[in-house]
Amino acid sequence: MTHHLTMLETLTSLAVAAGEGHAGGAGAMREAPQWVLAIALLPFAAFLLNGVCAALKVRNQFPAWLTIGTLATSFGLTLYLFLNYFTGADRAPMHVHGFEWIHFQWGATEAQTFISNFAFYIDGLTCLWILFVTGLATLIALYSSEYMNHDVGLGYCRFFAAFSLFVFSMLVLVMADNLLLMFLGWEGVGLCSYLLIGYFYKKPAAVAAAKKAFIINRIGDLGLLMAIFSAYGIFGTVEYSKIFAMVAANADGAGNLLSVNTWAGIVLPLLLTAGAFGKSAQLFFYVWLPDAMEGPTPVSALIHAATMVTAGVFLIARLYPVYTIDPALTILTLVAWCGAITAFWAATIEMAIFDIKRVMGYSTISQLGFMFAGLGLLSPTGAAFHTFTHAFFKATLFLGVGAVMHGFGGQLDLRRLSGVAWMRGFGLVGIAMLIGSINLSGVPFTAGFFSKDMILAQGFTTPSTMIGGAQIVAWILLITAGMTAYYTFRTFFRVYTGPKEFNPGDDAELLDLGRHPKGTNLEQWHKEHGHGHGHGHGHDHSHDHGHAHDHGAGSVADRRLQTRIDFDPTTEEFDPHPPGWAMKAAILACMLCSILAAGLYFMKTAGPGAEHGGWVGSMIHPSSAHFASPEFGKTATHMGQPHEPAAFFGQDAHKLMYYVSAGVGLIGILIAAFLHGPKGWQGLFIGNRVIAEKSRADGLINLFGPITKVARNKWYVDEIYDAIIVKPLHVLSHIFHLIDQYIVDGIVNLCGAIPRWIGKALRPTQSGEIHGYAIGMAGGVAVLLVLVFVLTS
Amino acid sequence: MNMTTLTTGFVPTLAQAGFPEVMSQVTLGHYLVVAAIMFVLGMIGFLTRRNLIIMFLCTELMFQAAGIALIAFGRYHLDFSGQTFVIFVLTVAAAEAAMALALIVLLYRRKESLNAEEWKDLQG
Amino acid sequence: MELFALILLPLVFALGVVVLPAAQSRVVALAGMLLTFALTLVIAGRFDTADTATFQFAKSVAWLPQLGLSLSVGIDSISLLLILLTGLLGPICILASWTAITDRIKTFHAWMLVLQAAMLGVFCSRDLILFYICFEFTLVPMFILISLYGSTNRKKASIKFFLYTFTGSVIALAGLVYIASQHAAMPGRSWTFDIAALASTARELPLGTQSWLLLAMMAGFAVKVPLFPVHTWLPLAHTEAPTAGSVVLAGVLLKLGTYAIYRFVLPFVPMAVVEYAPFLAVLCIIGIIYGGLICWVQTDIKKLVAYSSVAHLGFCMLGMFALNHTGIAGSVTYMINHGLSTGALFLLIGMIYERYHTRSMKELGGLGAKMPVWSTFMVFFAMASVGLPGLNGFVSEFMCMMGTFQASSAWGSSNLWGSLTDVRPVGVTHGNLGPWFAIIAGTGVIIAAMYLLYMVGQIVWGKLREPAGHDHNHHHEGDKHAQGGLSTDLNAREIITLAPLAALCFLLGVYPTPMLKIIETPVQQTAALIEREREGLPTRPPKATPEGVVHSNAAGISNNAQEARQ
Repeated sequence: MTHHLTMLETLTSLAVAAGEGHAGGAGAMREAPQWVLAIALLPFAAFLLNGVCAALKVRNQFPAWLTIGTLATSFGLTLYLFLNYFTGADRAPMHVHGFEWIHFQWGATEAQTFISNFAFYIDGLTCLWILFVTGLATLIALYSSEYMNHDVGLGYCRFFAAFSLFVFSMLVLVMADNLLLMFLGWEGVGLCSYLLIGYFYKKPAAVAAAKKAFIINRIGDLGLLMAIFSAYGIFGTVEYSKIFAMVAANADGAGNLLSVNTWAGIVLPLLLTAGAFGKSAQLFFYVWLPDAMEGPTPVSALIHAATMVTAGVFLIARLYPVYTIDPALTILTLVAWCGAITAFWAATIEMAIFDIKRVMGYSTISQLGFMFAGLGLLSPTGAAFHTFTHAFFKATLFLGVGAVMHGFGGQLDLRRLSGVAWMRGFGLVGIAMLIGSINLSGVPFTAGFFSKDMILAQGFTTPSTMIGGAQIVAWILLITAGMTAYYTFRTFFRVYTGPKEFNPGDDAELLDLGRHPKGTNLEQWHKEHGHGHGHGHGHDHSHDHGHAHDHGAGSVADRRLQTRIDFDPTTEEFDPHPPGWAMKAAILACMLCSILAAGLYFMKTAGPGAEHGGWVGSMIHPSSAHFASPEFGKTATHMGQPHEPAAFFGQDAHKLMYYVSAGVGLIGILIAAFLHGPKGWQGLFIGNRVIAEKSRADGLINLFGPITKVARNKWYVDEIYDAIIVKPLHVLSHIFHLIDQYIVDGIVNLCGAIPRWIGKALRPTQSGEIHGYAIGMAGGVAVLLVLVFVLTS
Repeated sequence: MNMTTLTTGFVPTLAQAGFPEVMSQVTLGHYLVVAAIMFVLGMIGFLTRRNLIIMFLCTELMFQAAGIALIAFGRYHLDFSGQTFVIFVLTVAAAEAAMALALIVLLYRRKESLNAEEWKDLQG
Repeated sequence: MELFALILLPLVFALGVVVLPAAQSRVVALAGMLLTFALTLVIAGRFDTADTATFQFAKSVAWLPQLGLSLSVGIDSISLLLILLTGLLGPICILASWTAITDRIKTFHAWMLVLQAAMLGVFCSRDLILFYICFEFTLVPMFILISLYGSTNRKKASIKFFLYTFTGSVIALAGLVYIASQHAAMPGRSWTFDIAALASTARELPLGTQSWLLLAMMAGFAVKVPLFPVHTWLPLAHTEAPTAGSVVLAGVLLKLGTYAIYRFVLPFVPMAVVEYAPFLAVLCIIGIIYGGLICWVQTDIKKLVAYSSVAHLGFCMLGMFALNHTGIAGSVTYMINHGLSTGALFLLIGMIYERYHTRSMKELGGLGAKMPVWSTFMVFFAMASVGLPGLNGFVSEFMCMMGTFQASSAWGSSNLWGSLTDVRPVGVTHGNLGPWFAIIAGTGVIIAAMYLLYMVGQIVWGKLREPAGHDHNHHHEGDKHAQGGLSTDLNAREIITLAPLAALCFLLGVYPTPMLKIIETPVQQTAALIEREREGLPTRPPKATPEGVVHSNAAGISNNAQEARQ
């Protein structure tokens, strides 16, 4: 045994030495200043302070400003970090140590120690992520300060506490220096997502959606946890820098060749992928994300569009070296295919549904599919770039949708809204939606265009020998790009252009912002009654009271019924409630960022990598996500081969793709204009819609018949899951419960009953007659005596 | 009897110490027969009578029978343990008699009867 | 001496409760519990952390030397942690029963203190018989607490609890006494019940005998834990017990079983444990999944948490039977962490029961709007129980599962690992479990999320549902409750009861390293002991590692490393 351990020790130290050699040669790991910890810890402080606010029953906007201030500081620090450490030529990873989190020695030697520190590993990839996470979080906090105004009080504190905790978790996720700490962030964002989706906890749908999100995420998380165990088994460490060093040396912690190890090459990345797909709602796991739209819209914008759902992309990018252990790149191929299929699948659903927020939700799934396809097609830079641009334009779109919800009493049906951009106070929203939509559709010279293009072009250039069927994947993505343009502008043309028309929604709290008795002036009425810009006066209270009376299980229908009664169109009127300055400022900033992000593509910075993807390329190039990096992914046998730009119809794919994808996008927009555009220039002169409810597309629905219906019902995936997993499991649980009561416990009771039966049988002998006992005793003695005589003689 | 031998730890049997052999005329068997007769009388009395006091007296009779047997055996083996034990038994029996009679008085007060069968319901 | 004082202190206060008038029972009991807790803290403060494997504060008083019995006590770091947990839960239980127990106050508090003494005695004893006496004596106070202060079905529950665990323990006692008799029968040895001496004797016994002993000991200790097929007393006892009883039951009494397995089964019969570990692990996994799924269909919130204990303790025992340091250390930390989080959940349920006199999730719901403080605690402790990283449950659950994952001899040689060589991966230990065990047990993590979120979703979120007849319309903030003068949301006393547990859950989740460090040496010794026995196990093929392979690999690495540098 001793000998064995010594040998292990030797091998481990060799592998570690290999790692150090790498670190010393290819770019030493830098020690980052301690204040970097504050980037993540500040939001945590905000979380705690919001908790204090809740305890002190703060009834004003203070929690919001506290959160905004902290997040802005965090963003400032990030910017400072970026400008000082990631602009020059040296972009080597940085490391900063906080404290020992989980630390134990499980064997006799020093090498058999499990170390997971609260420490950060910051490279270009991390820096990219924390920049947009803190930046967007600040903007969306600003937006939320107004959006959540109707809930000032305890709910407000709760919202911002969870919001801050989310930002903390997300930052830990991307900054962690080891897998386990990353898992802390990973589960943390899951928790906050749960809390925020279920923010309107009186709504059964929201509670169910929150639960669903958490549980489906947990399924993926189990894969990730197993991946962490596998990684520890293989490498003897969970720290990124050491793992990367071993991958670079093509040796696991015990000195085995990594590239011939199926567990390291296939199983480990497969498990990681399961985790990534869970969080990023890919493939079978996507069902939670559309339901997550039950949460407040700022939450959807930040968590379910811009940041948390991209954690899966980050995970794969971060552990890209592990994916390249397998020379055949099997799992990357799988990722590419799954991404493309998800992108296409989600797009089919989006084209059929009418709920504009859910359109955005599915669109996020679809765009995440693009990112995963990018990762799988060996373009982590493209994936990272698309994540970055998507974060801004999707946030813009969501914030715009949020403004519409906020203004129209929670109305989300695109058949019930029209011409919103022309309504008073909604101009900026219309512009923002246009900017977001052209980005999402990939209209030339927008950020979304360039980032999507990188992925598409890479797909056509990646040889099939490396990624099987790369070209087919690229074709699927190209078709999906066209569908994306169509569904994006379908929403845009229907909701924001055309004749002004609206029906208020059924969200009681948002309705309060714009309702007033018939024949009165909204502003005047609000001034008199103090409604709208709620100062939290008894708002919660009256609501609670209303609910307290119905004891039955609440359903959506109940709630609808109730609010319908509340809003009586015969006596009341509804005026749209335009966004205030905070919401407008946030929308404007997001919009500008998504325009400016295009410039990054052309930004030539010092250092390698800028030739591919500009600024983002130069950030990704020295990070672990860079595929052909000399430090990482060396084990893949084909790495030495020169990267030949493949031909696409005889042309350089990278160049031709600009035109092809631009064309596809524009065709999609034109189809949308034809089917959904209003009459006149707003519908590009080819549309003919005159009312909100009907358009040319209605005829098309009949053409496709049942397909639209099936797609509108999300291909019945929820129902299928319910029928084949949830229901059987529930039945099984009931069976287990019965087994437990009647069989497992039954046997125990039987064991207890046997002595009781014996006792019952013997009971008559206990007559209570003292002479009976005495005779029994005397007889017993006699029998014993006889026995003794018989035995002794 | 030599006191020094006793105190130094060597305990001779009574015969060795020079006691006369009284048992030569009346043998152990005689004593045991007497004890057995007393015991059987007590037992029959206990089994046949219903009166609590008589039953109690019968148990006392059995006690004494056992006592006689113990003393007889003790003498036979030239060992004091038998006698010692009987003294214990007598003491305990005295205490027990006090207790038992008190109980019987209590029981009598409850049911105005000394019949043991009245108390059948104590079977539990 | 400190340890004797620790055991006697609650007893003295129990006497005080009996002697003093009932009106002062609560205060006296609280003072007794607090002083006991303070004493445990003093002991912890004086505990030599450099020498955690040695039994410190050791003291032995001859009791019946002819029989080899002695009152001998001593604690290592693992006992210390459990003593601290017991000490902490004591005053919390008294505080939690402050208004809930209105009848026979004296009896309740006296028995609580006696129970405390017995539990502390279990963790302190170094003598088998002393251990056993304390172990069994916990049954008496618990029996009385359940049968006098429980809810409707309390008679049945208390009798079942008593008989079930008692029957098991008697079998365990038989096994342990057999070991003592074997010890006495050996030449040159006499009767003793010293645990360390008996352990070395038991290890010399052949595998066949050890297997029987394993069965006997598990009969006693597995019932207490409880492991899968012998768990049915637990939901019943938990559901019927008063709040303080449930807290002690979940917090400490279940840990008596796991502690006994750690203290007796692993070091006494390591060979048999190695042999039967996969079988025991399967029972644990069945417990995890089966218990978890049953939780999911409960309507009684207390029963749900009770069944969750079956699932959670399944994880705890799974780690134990991984038989490597990671797993055993995970299991030991699990004992503490489960005591904190599940104890707190029972407290929370007790607070609700005191207000609404129902535990049915059909009748209750949506308390988030009415009781925000309570709801916050509920979500917090549910998350700790789910095993959210950053809270305490995660650390131990993670370690138990990782220990299971690591414990696989198969990794070194079979195709599962895919390695070309016989070299064991660095992060892997010997063992018969491995990835599949961990993955299947891991589904329990998902199930845990399912049932705990179901519980939270039912009772915290949603529309407010209160039992019919509960006069909710007249309850606004600040209104006093008709019964017991309870406020709508938690009052200061209740917050004080929960706060230390919440703080510890957070602290042990964020910074568990000190706890892991302090248990490191003793657990490593136990793991090493098992490893030694495993090496000598005749049924296992010897694990030869050809030197040549190692060297060629080592060379391979350095070559690769050089390439990397170039």
